[in-house]
Amino acid sequence: MKDSRPAVPDAAGGQEIDPADLVQFEIAARRTLRRHIDLSFIRTHRPVLDEGPSRSFDTMAEYREWCERELPDWLGYGRN
Amino acid sequence: MVAIDARFLEELRDALAEHKVRYLFIGKGAAILQGFPDTTQDADIFVAKDPENAERLTRALRQAGAEITREEADALRRGKDFVEIKGEFVIDVIHAPDGIETFEDAWNRGREIGGYPVCSLDDVIVSKESANRAKDRETLPRLRNFRRYLEQRNRTPGRPLPRPTTGIEGD
Repeated sequence: MKDSRPAVPDAAGGQEIDPADLVQFEIAARRTLRRHIDLSFIRTHRPVLDEGPSRSFDTMAEYREWCERELPDWLGYGRN
Repeated sequence: MVAIDARFLEELRDALAEHKVRYLFIGKGAAILQGFPDTTQDADIFVAKDPENAERLTRALRQAGAEITREEADALRRGKDFVEIKGEFVIDVIHAPDGIETFEDAWNRGREIGGYPVCSLDDVIVSKESANRAKDRETLPRLRNFRRYLEQRNRTPGRPLPRPTTGIEGD
């Protein structure tokens, strides 16, 4: 559901923070680092990426090209 | 979905510090360590590219429980730009992240948070802007909002990293 509260203006530049984001930032700020890590570093199965042996690439360009060629689009590794 | 116990990351952090590995958390993991609320499925670490550091890194990863194959150790020693380490949790070792000139530059802008050396939020954002993948474009508005949130509250997470750039505790 869309948060209906007004966005919070930034004192420095007049930019606004989305209220929904603001709520999440404040909640996260109250957690201990350990609890925050527990909630944030997760393991799910990513097709292709998590299958087979580990991979290495001489250059980041080669790695990006491999991701675009081999991974399903919905994983979000593509640049287009 | 399985949450990774923070102890895994603590053991990794402690092993990397013990072996004086020159590295920084980068990517979304670095933002998370600075308080950003989101999830990540791997830990990206930006590692200073030199053979001795690679040897220390290999020893540290093994101490933290990673089963480093001969191929992975060789890729680390050669300083390949991207080396994936698979285990209980995926660790991506990156020697040349998008948008960042040198390890030393990133170190000098970085922060230490709970013993974790992390790239500055500015560097995380610049790197994601440069990578420009769909998942980066999706995350960037919230990341910029988070930076704005910290600025607005005059909050800078953690403390500056020690100098010279020879590891968390220095050599």
